[in-house]
Amino acid sequence: MPLHLKLHTQPEVPLEADCICPDKIQSLKGSEISSMIVFHGNRQVKLGEFFDCKGEFDGEIIIDGDLNNVKHVGASMTFGKIIIEGNIGLHTGAAMQGGEIIIEGNAADWLAAEMQGGKITVKGNAGHMTGSGYRGSTVGMQGGEIFIHGNVKNETGHVMRRGLIVVGGDSGDFTGVNMIAGTIIVLGNMGIRTGAGMRRGSIICFNEAEILPTFTRNCVYKPSFIKFYINYLEKNGFSIDSSYTNGTFERWSGDSIELNRGEVLLSQYKNK
Amino acid sequence: MTEQKSNKKTEEQNKNIKIVKDATCTFCGCVCDDMELHVDLDEKRIIKAKNACVLGRAWFAEHTIEDAPAALIDGKEVSVEEAVEEAAQTLVKAKFPITYGLSDTTSEAQKQAVAITDYIKGNIDTTTSVCHGPSGLAFQGVGESTSTLGEVKNRADLVIYWGGNPAESHPRHFGRYAVTPKGMFTPNGKKDRTIVLVDVRKTKSAGVADILIRPKPGKDFEVLWALRALVKGISISTDIEKETGVPLEVLTDLVERMKNCRFGVLFFGMGLTMTRGRHFNSGALLALATDLNEYTHFVAKPVRGHGNVTGADNVVSWQTGYPFGVNFSRGYPRFNPGEFTTVDTLSNGDADAAMIIASDPGSNFPKKAIEHLKNIPVVVLDTKSTDTTKLAHVAFKTATYGINTGGTVYRMDDVSIPLRPAFESPFPDDETILKAIKKRVHELILKKNDSRGASGEAKVAAAVNPL
Repeated sequence: MPLHLKLHTQPEVPLEADCICPDKIQSLKGSEISSMIVFHGNRQVKLGEFFDCKGEFDGEIIIDGDLNNVKHVGASMTFGKIIIEGNIGLHTGAAMQGGEIIIEGNAADWLAAEMQGGKITVKGNAGHMTGSGYRGSTVGMQGGEIFIHGNVKNETGHVMRRGLIVVGGDSGDFTGVNMIAGTIIVLGNMGIRTGAGMRRGSIICFNEAEILPTFTRNCVYKPSFIKFYINYLEKNGFSIDSSYTNGTFERWSGDSIELNRGEVLLSQYKNK
Repeated sequence: MTEQKSNKKTEEQNKNIKIVKDATCTFCGCVCDDMELHVDLDEKRIIKAKNACVLGRAWFAEHTIEDAPAALIDGKEVSVEEAVEEAAQTLVKAKFPITYGLSDTTSEAQKQAVAITDYIKGNIDTTTSVCHGPSGLAFQGVGESTSTLGEVKNRADLVIYWGGNPAESHPRHFGRYAVTPKGMFTPNGKKDRTIVLVDVRKTKSAGVADILIRPKPGKDFEVLWALRALVKGISISTDIEKETGVPLEVLTDLVERMKNCRFGVLFFGMGLTMTRGRHFNSGALLALATDLNEYTHFVAKPVRGHGNVTGADNVVSWQTGYPFGVNFSRGYPRFNPGEFTTVDTLSNGDADAAMIIASDPGSNFPKKAIEHLKNIPVVVLDTKSTDTTKLAHVAFKTATYGINTGGTVYRMDDVSIPLRPAFESPFPDDETILKAIKKRVHELILKKNDSRGASGEAKVAAAVNPL
């Protein structure tokens, strides 16, 4: 039976609950879990003041309630599974190293910031800086997978170094900005200035997009690996028009201001 | 006409006039320190500000002594001591108190504000977050090739203004620092310099420009990115004109000028930092300056607005390690613009108390943020009655920095400059009020942490006395 956390009192100010993490909960019993410390603004209080804790931790945590004001859930986790039955606040899965987080609603900014491993699935939308580095960091996401079925805002995959980010809807501006390596797939439309300053890595978009003047158009071709990606995405719950499987993509290389070894692939299949 | 002039002179001679030489104007980030102020000591007002620009003259003329209470609680007059007690109680009770403003006060007062925020485990942010905050992020990400305005005056032979209109916002920037002054290596003033203005509009600053470049609105990043490519010898398609509105020849010519000048400077304003792309726009410009150092000496400087907003960045940085948007709720400083910046903490409904110092967010913040500000207790320190003081729970009327109080401010190039006050004010200055609040906050926190009756009180007294 999984551990079930239900929010019974809405926090007046942001609640920093980085204790909601399998690594920290695994060796604790019911009352000990309720006594874990969270930060309610500048006050240290017990988790039980906000959450009802039921069940025993068997590797899985289910969290229920309006969690828009709850931050840092699953931060730095290395194993286990967290299921969030609604929306969730900032920094969810930040610096995560392993395990899985499933978010049934929307995620706020800095989802999986500086993630190193594991898997996050968001059924709704995500905010700014998904899978990015924190301000001042030269390296962002270093591994793992992020699947977002809705839209994301700006700076997705900022200074990303490894891993996979898939966006089922649209992405904002500066997708893959200063990207070092890794893969970003956007099934909807991308905002402007995609891949600015990217060194390596792939940004694949199933629509047309504005390209910066420092990118060079290389060719139109049928990348063979796309069909494997599409298969993998379908297994992860994305529905993709079969015409993309053998469709052609326009390849742009850049950013020439940096190493010029990144690529942006734009689908040429227009009948959407 | 001559008779009128001589009458005016006689009138001035009869008055109790004090002349303050080398006074400092704190209206804008230029912080001109060559003012000669003529002060009517009877009326307690500045009647003449020699060397001041039109904005400076208005600044000095408008700051007179008003007949108003020094402190209010919920609109009712109280003593300063009562207001200090109420302010301290409000801040200590709060779970997510925020401190905001700081750009129009002395660095000594700013230091006290950081200390209070540290004690109450709050959130401190300055007006930088709504002006050159993106530049602050860009400095951290890209770095900054920089200089003082003195170096610009003495050495710069290529001056580029990007996304700003100094003729109207910083009228003496041209004459005192960057365009017309004669310097050590620019003995002929403007004749020795090439002035370039990049702006989407033709502003009043265009008059001094040798070259005016007008990109399409929102295309600054693309133009800067193309310039970076050209500096690095990467070819750019002629389509750039269609995209940005700037022909490739103009960009190529500018790049040649930049690479071949002796000392180049890029001044940038909020036309760059607050348009789509924000910190990436500033970052692109700073990176361009860095790239150009492969060929010549090139620097970049933001043209800062408020008199001591640069001081706010410096003080918050030296005390916390970060320039703005700093949170202490866990007992140590954390920096995260977008989460801990004031527009966000108010719009998201995070803050449950606020201390606003020398700023008026009540008149210029987004509606959602102002609505939240109305619903929480607010402590305000300001020299004038503003939209923010009107919604304050506790309001202090304070003396004006640079006119009534001394202290230190930072010019936009991070050079610290002392203030020479012109006349005394009956109101206390920001530093005095903040010191009193800090002392009381410290007492309350120690009391809360040590509730062992009399011995606790004694410990409090012992700990507080050194302050």
